[in-house]
Amino acid sequence: MRREVPLFITFISGVLLVIALFIPHKPFGNLEQRFNDWYIIVSGFTMILGIDSLLLHHWNRFKRKREGWIYSIALILAFFITLIWGFYSGIKVGSPFKPNSSFLKYFYTFVFVPLQATMFSLLAFFIASAAYRAFRARTFDATLLLTAAAFVMLGRVPEGNRASVYLFGIALLIAAVILLLEAKERVSTFEKLIHYLGAIVAIVLIYILYRVLPSYLPQIADWIMNIPQLAAKRGIFIGIALGGIAMSLRIILGIERTYLK
Amino acid sequence: MNFWERLGRIDRRIIYLVVFLGVIIPILLKVTFKVEPMREVKQAYEEVEKLPPGSAVMISIDYDASSMPELQPMLVAILEHCFKKDLKVIMLGHWPLGLPLGQIALDKVAKKYGKVYGKDYVFLGFRPGVAAVMINLGKEIRQVFNSDYKGTPIDSLPVMQNIHNYNDIGILIGLEAGSTGDMWVQFAQARYNAKIILGATAVVAPDLYPYLQANQIVGLIGGLRGAADYESLVHVLGPAYLGMPAQTTIHVLVVILIILGNLGYFATRRRK
Amino acid sequence: MTALSTAFLFLILQFPAPPQNVRAYDTPNDAGNSITITWDLSLDDSVVSRYEIYRSRGEPSVDSAVAAGSVLRGSTKFEDNSVENNTPYFYFVRARADTLYADSKWSAAAYAKPQWFHTGRKSALVILIFFGILLFYYLQKAKQGAELYVRRIAGLEAVDEAVGRSTEMGRPILFILGLGFVSDIPTLAALAILKRVSKKAAEYESEVIVPCYDPVVMTAAQEVVKEGYMEAGRPDLYNERNVYYLTADQFGYAAGVDGIMVREKPGAVFLQGLFYAESLILAETGHSIGAIQISGTTAVTQLPFFIAATDYTLIGEEMYAASAYLSKDPLSLSTIKAEDVAKMVFIALFVLGVVLETLAVITGNQSFHFLKNWFALF
Repeated sequence: MRREVPLFITFISGVLLVIALFIPHKPFGNLEQRFNDWYIIVSGFTMILGIDSLLLHHWNRFKRKREGWIYSIALILAFFITLIWGFYSGIKVGSPFKPNSSFLKYFYTFVFVPLQATMFSLLAFFIASAAYRAFRARTFDATLLLTAAAFVMLGRVPEGNRASVYLFGIALLIAAVILLLEAKERVSTFEKLIHYLGAIVAIVLIYILYRVLPSYLPQIADWIMNIPQLAAKRGIFIGIALGGIAMSLRIILGIERTYLK
Repeated sequence: MNFWERLGRIDRRIIYLVVFLGVIIPILLKVTFKVEPMREVKQAYEEVEKLPPGSAVMISIDYDASSMPELQPMLVAILEHCFKKDLKVIMLGHWPLGLPLGQIALDKVAKKYGKVYGKDYVFLGFRPGVAAVMINLGKEIRQVFNSDYKGTPIDSLPVMQNIHNYNDIGILIGLEAGSTGDMWVQFAQARYNAKIILGATAVVAPDLYPYLQANQIVGLIGGLRGAADYESLVHVLGPAYLGMPAQTTIHVLVVILIILGNLGYFATRRRK
Repeated sequence: MTALSTAFLFLILQFPAPPQNVRAYDTPNDAGNSITITWDLSLDDSVVSRYEIYRSRGEPSVDSAVAAGSVLRGSTKFEDNSVENNTPYFYFVRARADTLYADSKWSAAAYAKPQWFHTGRKSALVILIFFGILLFYYLQKAKQGAELYVRRIAGLEAVDEAVGRSTEMGRPILFILGLGFVSDIPTLAALAILKRVSKKAAEYESEVIVPCYDPVVMTAAQEVVKEGYMEAGRPDLYNERNVYYLTADQFGYAAGVDGIMVREKPGAVFLQGLFYAESLILAETGHSIGAIQISGTTAVTQLPFFIAATDYTLIGEEMYAASAYLSKDPLSLSTIKAEDVAKMVFIALFVLGVVLETLAVITGNQSFHFLKNWFALF
């Protein structure tokens, strides 16, 4: 029974919502809206579960003096101070969420905003380190990926087109040198020839890019974003949509039940 | 490990330091670059420019403090444009923690142009239930917001006279740090044919290009660059414009790092 | 006299031309109480400030006409959502330029009605039925014991390996469910992976830490982890305290999880579910502590970050396939088979669509748009 009842509820609500998509007439037309409202109400109450879990977790850390317990104290204190102050402003100005209630405004401007902005700005550092680590020309695909990345990065900033001439020039020069070095170590004449040819192509490319990039780099970047990027993204989207349908049907039909006990 | 191979294993802390300096130095030196506005931003600007004076613009704050560096300058530039053109501004938002940011900018720019609250602009605030709010705004704004954030009934505000739903709004501008922009398109555009411009963080913007291609939105302002473009179009050079050299520096630095990393990679491979 | 006629002429010129062809009809595919009005723009649209829509109930009479609403210039459509069903309404549209205006002729009577079928979604219904038949077919096949082949997914193969390696290092496993809610499919898919991970962890007597963003997801995750430990026959090892709520603030959550990573030094980090801008902050910190990382999300914008910073990434639908793939349950696998066949059909349709649309452009023959029009929803 414990399993059958929830599965039955899932099945009924799932099927109802699918039907509701095709019937605008009452009571089906606004069924999704109504289900959403119910979900919001139920999930509002579960916040109590969340708070209970959070406070208990940190209370235990403090009690057992686990490493960093001092932060747990800070969390518990901050929680209650904000809560009490919220109630206080609620009584005083009518609502704790009004931006002009003094404590929360102070807290918002001088604690919350800088903290959030700080966390977000970490991305700049992490993007640099991740790009440095991940963009290695290991295979042909990887090379294509990092070239496209460089085009877009430089094509989307002012003066990027001028910088790009030097950067791509240096990169191609390095590629030519590496190809020449590699060529010396090859035994077969054919492989040698291929490497020499590669080096020549790299040098020719430097000249071509020198002529093309200063005026066309932003267009190239736009083209990469609008054509190949979007094409791949749409492919993934369609896959996700179909996968989503299959997953939803598994849930509605009760084949997939990991979320249940 | 020789010098070349070491290039492939630069310590992350050195990278962080380089990034830090790359951002801070151009900002401290106040370097400026001329920006050539991107087409989609110009398109957005022209749509606002086309509105007759007195038309209403609805601005939605769908971001919070974390994406403030990118979206706040965008908001300020748009507000400057609206007030300069004597357009009415109706502000609301779906991210409750970002709303005060919208209000701060609104009050500041309105003051600069001598605009009066209730007559030239209004701040409606937040109501929970993103999709439901968008759908009901299409029917009657008063169904969702019968009063502004201060509790003043909106029928008593002259700015809201004759404004009932998207039909009475010249352009809807959503400033997006997440997926709320998709919902604006899905509900306000697809169902009610509202004219939408979206401004978004650089991370979110690529997701919105398909809407632009499909004419579901009439303009797209992406990232700090987009904000700088808009600033230069309305001739108010603000933080985004000043941030451009820092962004260029970082992008160039990342490309240099990629080149160095690959040098290191090939050096290591050759040894093997 | 001349002065008077000039003044008169001036007045006439200032009057905008009236809107033409006013049509009123029941708004299609709705729950009733709505009439749609369309018209052709006034020839003087550029001097018009707005179009005002008036309606009269029962008969077209100016005396009983009330304002139904107004739209800005350049618009040719209005939905009147405040009418009663099955009652005749007549409309006219007024083009207004300040104090001057011009009225259109009355429209014919229109009746609002609720509809029982959304005709704009018939293509969706056909696809649903087609998918249902496919699913039914493969479910039957699976029940008869047919072997269903699913390609190897490296990220999922690595799940057991990651848990094993983490145990060898004597470190806990960190499972991050992202910012999704229990109503998001990726979160449900992530819970399925969590079950497998906790079962393996129980077998190796390892610890699984799950910090949560949403209390409902937390409750579900507690059940899932418990179930995993029970399936491995080690309910004694399950500790509810390891699955706990953190915060519902995006970057607060990122900061909290980063803190856990740095303090607890997990050997394996799973990033599964819905992620937004915090994805790279989490993945790079995970990399810096030397953990083996398996990520998976349907948030397409975050995929590049995961691919760059983690060891394995489940891309979109691979994540959805996880539970079926890991459990090898034939019924689950059959739904994936059905999905693959549907995908083939869609690819064929795309190719056909491209050919037809190209033909339409080349020949200028509108009938080639039939496929595109059939798929146009809403």
